[in-house]
Amino acid sequence: MFSTRLYRCGLATLLLCALALPAAAQSFRVQCPSTTTLHPTDVTANYTGPTIVPKTLTRVDGSTYTVNYTDNGGGIKCQQISGGDGFATMADGTPLYLFGFGPLSGMADQVSGLPGTQPAHVFNQSNLLGSTVIPDVFIGAPTPTGYTFNGAVGLVPDVEANNGTGTAGAPLSGHVDPRLIMDVGVMNANMPAPLMAIDEDDEFFQTLTNVGQVKRPALFEQHTEHFHGYPKAATFYDGVPDASVAINIGGSFSYYYLAPDAGTYFWHCHISPPEHLQMGMVGQLFVRPRQNRVPLGHELYSSLMLQQGDLRTRCGTDFECSSPLPPVNHVQQTINTRVTDTKTNTSTQPQMYAYNDGDGTTAYDVEYPIQIHGFDPNFHFVGMTFNPESFSDIKDKYFLLNGRSYPDTVQPGSMTTQSTDGTMHSSQPLPTIINIPVGGKALLRIADLDVTEYQTLASLGIAMRVVGLNARLLRELAGNDMTYRTNSITLAGGESLDVILDATGLAAGQKFYLYTPNLDHLANDAENFGGLMTEINICPANLPNIDPQTKLCAKKII
Amino acid sequence: MRVTKTNNMARQLRIATTAAAASLLAAAAHAAAPGITGTSFHLDAQAAYITQPDGASIYSWGYGCASPPGGYAPTAVAGATCPDMQLPGPTLIVNQGATVTVTLTNSLPAQAGRTSMLFPGFEVTASGGVDGLLTKEAQTAGTVTYTFKADSPGTHSYYSGTQSDLQVEMGLYGAIIVVPTLSGRVATACSNSSNDRARAHDFGTGVEQDFRLASAAYDHAATCYDREYLFQLSEIDPKIHLAAEAIATCTTAGNGGASCPANMNSVATEQYHPVYFLVNGRSMPDDMDPNYASQYPHQPYNGNPHMHPGETTLLRIIGQGRWQHPLHEHGNHVRLLARDGNLLLAPNVLEGESEPRLAGPLLFTTTTTPGQAMDGIFYWTGRGLNWDVFGHGYVGDPSVCHPDANGYYTEDPTAQNYYEWCGDHNKPLEAHPFGNVGNGGPMTLPDPNIVANGAWYGGSPYLGGEATTRAVGTTPIPPSGTIANDPGGEAGFAFMWHSHNEREITTNNIFPGGMMMMMLVDPRAYLIDESK
Repeated sequence: MFSTRLYRCGLATLLLCALALPAAAQSFRVQCPSTTTLHPTDVTANYTGPTIVPKTLTRVDGSTYTVNYTDNGGGIKCQQISGGDGFATMADGTPLYLFGFGPLSGMADQVSGLPGTQPAHVFNQSNLLGSTVIPDVFIGAPTPTGYTFNGAVGLVPDVEANNGTGTAGAPLSGHVDPRLIMDVGVMNANMPAPLMAIDEDDEFFQTLTNVGQVKRPALFEQHTEHFHGYPKAATFYDGVPDASVAINIGGSFSYYYLAPDAGTYFWHCHISPPEHLQMGMVGQLFVRPRQNRVPLGHELYSSLMLQQGDLRTRCGTDFECSSPLPPVNHVQQTINTRVTDTKTNTSTQPQMYAYNDGDGTTAYDVEYPIQIHGFDPNFHFVGMTFNPESFSDIKDKYFLLNGRSYPDTVQPGSMTTQSTDGTMHSSQPLPTIINIPVGGKALLRIADLDVTEYQTLASLGIAMRVVGLNARLLRELAGNDMTYRTNSITLAGGESLDVILDATGLAAGQKFYLYTPNLDHLANDAENFGGLMTEINICPANLPNIDPQTKLCAKKII
Repeated sequence: MRVTKTNNMARQLRIATTAAAASLLAAAAHAAAPGITGTSFHLDAQAAYITQPDGASIYSWGYGCASPPGGYAPTAVAGATCPDMQLPGPTLIVNQGATVTVTLTNSLPAQAGRTSMLFPGFEVTASGGVDGLLTKEAQTAGTVTYTFKADSPGTHSYYSGTQSDLQVEMGLYGAIIVVPTLSGRVATACSNSSNDRARAHDFGTGVEQDFRLASAAYDHAATCYDREYLFQLSEIDPKIHLAAEAIATCTTAGNGGASCPANMNSVATEQYHPVYFLVNGRSMPDDMDPNYASQYPHQPYNGNPHMHPGETTLLRIIGQGRWQHPLHEHGNHVRLLARDGNLLLAPNVLEGESEPRLAGPLLFTTTTTPGQAMDGIFYWTGRGLNWDVFGHGYVGDPSVCHPDANGYYTEDPTAQNYYEWCGDHNKPLEAHPFGNVGNGGPMTLPDPNIVANGAWYGGSPYLGGEATTRAVGTTPIPPSGTIANDPGGEAGFAFMWHSHNEREITTNNIFPGGMMMMMLVDPRAYLIDESK
């Protein structure tokens, strides 16, 4: 039986216990080891099947024991975000107050519309050059022009851990300068929240740093991260404040997960969800399949068979199997010649897939994360004041794709909003311009975070193929295809699905529309045209390919 | 009580209130899928007041037992009753193939007019009563009888087919569970599982009872299950209920001498503006109180799922309101088994197998649709986390973990780590633990001073009081807030199951509330007793 010692522990003892915690405890800190017991390096590698790696571990009494780790080629990925507040600009020009998350790492990538998730060696960069702060850290990232810093904001050598001998040789061990974090993180909410993407088999270290809500000093809001849809989740890292811990202002908390099965997930704060989600604490997250990492010339089906060799990645007789085997086939991994690296006009990028399909049926050329959301300006206004919000009366007036309404959805680049401090902040980094290479395929990773109602997205003129639902391949356990063609999809808040738009047979240069047939959602508050809508372009004949980094149409490869 | 956000104290109070409400009966609040049994049921439809956690007492109509039912199931749930009005109506538990007779007496106020019952998915013969639009109806104080053969196993709904926009909103709906007839092969496959043997083992707190209605949801070996819970999701717009109440209680004297309305036709059922969002007729935290709790005489059913790691849990989910609700299950995906009693199967049988495989999708959000019932299966283990949720690998650890074909330790149903995911056995989480758990892992846990503890936080990342007590050692995380799930008690992993149209986890504008439950994955050392 377990002990009742906790209850016998008197108040005085408890206080002593609390004080006995490590003196080095620091409120803000990041965690991103460059090596772990599972992964000797941070780089995600090709998938060639499971390798058993025995590791010897030492107990606190000095005795040792061996544990078998299974290496599937994953790496170590890290990201830091701030929890706080800020403003975003609606399509009618209204600046709207947000409770929101902002980037505190991977800022150069995020301001360019890419996921902010970085390998450990990129994340772990000192913010100091000699004894001065790197200017990029200092200014934050309002626009992508000339901005290259992707490391963790605040990360500086831990001088105290260096026996007082200065910064030379001092370890980069997660110690941060809180001033840098506050300089960048305060009033820097992004809508959507920072984009995250990891590969299957990666370890993901995700640090949330609560910088407080400067516009609402009366609020002592805690924040958390809920990784929505993670299978076999751990309560401690599930982000539900009632079931775990919540992060107070001035504190950091690092979440840890080994990447779950591939799919389109999403994440959000789980403190008072009707309020914090409506106010903007909603982000996107996807896990790319290990099938992307099959070596060139190897068969996808054989690779899926290799996955049966590891109990964690095999299908077995588990009704939770996420990748049932398709019929035997000989599709091989290839270089994708529809994508072009515009720096070199070549392609070295292997074919990408939404899932471990084993037959290439979820192949795509370019992916677009699309978050559906809705904002009620009255709720946001009340949220900026000291009055209680009404939940049952929430009526969304702005209908958002990636935090913007039409026509802002087709505005290239990051949108900025002037904050109360007079400076411009990158507030809505993600356009939703869907460019598809001629004859190619775009993967739309669609997640709905609306807090009030179901929303429908329809395509005019180009069919949707729904290949995944709730981060799972649409294939039943006998291996039969359950994907379907449609021209509209409907999601509730809390659902995601994967749509492939296939431009096969469609002429170059055409434009199509993705819009909502919930016609009252084609509005930006009082403006009666806009809302949940964006454009789909088939690349022109002279630029038939796509650059997967810029998502712009590009020349054919040479 | 309208919650304001002017200071942190309001929030603390909210959390404390929630915790206190839940902890009052924390030791006695588990769910099952209770109902009444037999082949012949005499129900009535009548008015009563239900309660909500904001203190509201809401005039409603519901089905109830006009005479005592043939029996109650599961028999392990003590204290079962069937009041003369309840919301939702009594869950009718019948056997597949049985001829079921439901006699309905209309005890609604005269102004409500006629009423009736629909049984979608069944071929119903109606007798008595008077002809209505969809079926025969019972006039005020009159009766009508419906007969159907329960040929479709699984979960089904029933509800009023008369002036439905009003009568269903007022509460006239319920569930039917048809217990399947199992072939010998399926009965054998679903009996004496290792989970059955674990249930029968005394882990130090007694032997658990079996609360299932059957060992399989359908006559198919992939639908074996270990526990089951029924969730009926609906909503209430109090304006409608107040308007109906005003008519039902109207007197000429009270109406200033004017005559009272003779019917409910003037009750506006649009614009629809619900503010209560119910699981089995209750809002959180009331839904986590026991079944048949005396404080809810007309809301006998709760929503409070518990399970042990590895237990296959059958979810029976019905949309009973007029809105759709995205029920999000934290913790894992749900494999959808069936819709309206129709098992979703592959069209072919694979070579070497005896039955087609399951074909329903894997969902982390099971959206309800008005009138539709679905069955899904769910289980939780710590599979693939890359750390040992039991905190093994410590000094003096005697545990072992031998993987079965799916990687779980099912060899010894009497072990505390029964159904552990062996791939992570002994793998440490913490780089530098305080107490006696494995070390050398990836994470440094946060300074406890900079985080707030939730009411269902067990006190450590680990599952079970033994592991948590070992992990926190002589420097326990302040136990404030570990009221509902402390290391000396349940010490489970808590996962929120809730509507993800998040506005619906409020009770008349108060957060938290509404369509929300805490599902607990409990260590084997904690006895899950759904009977109290």
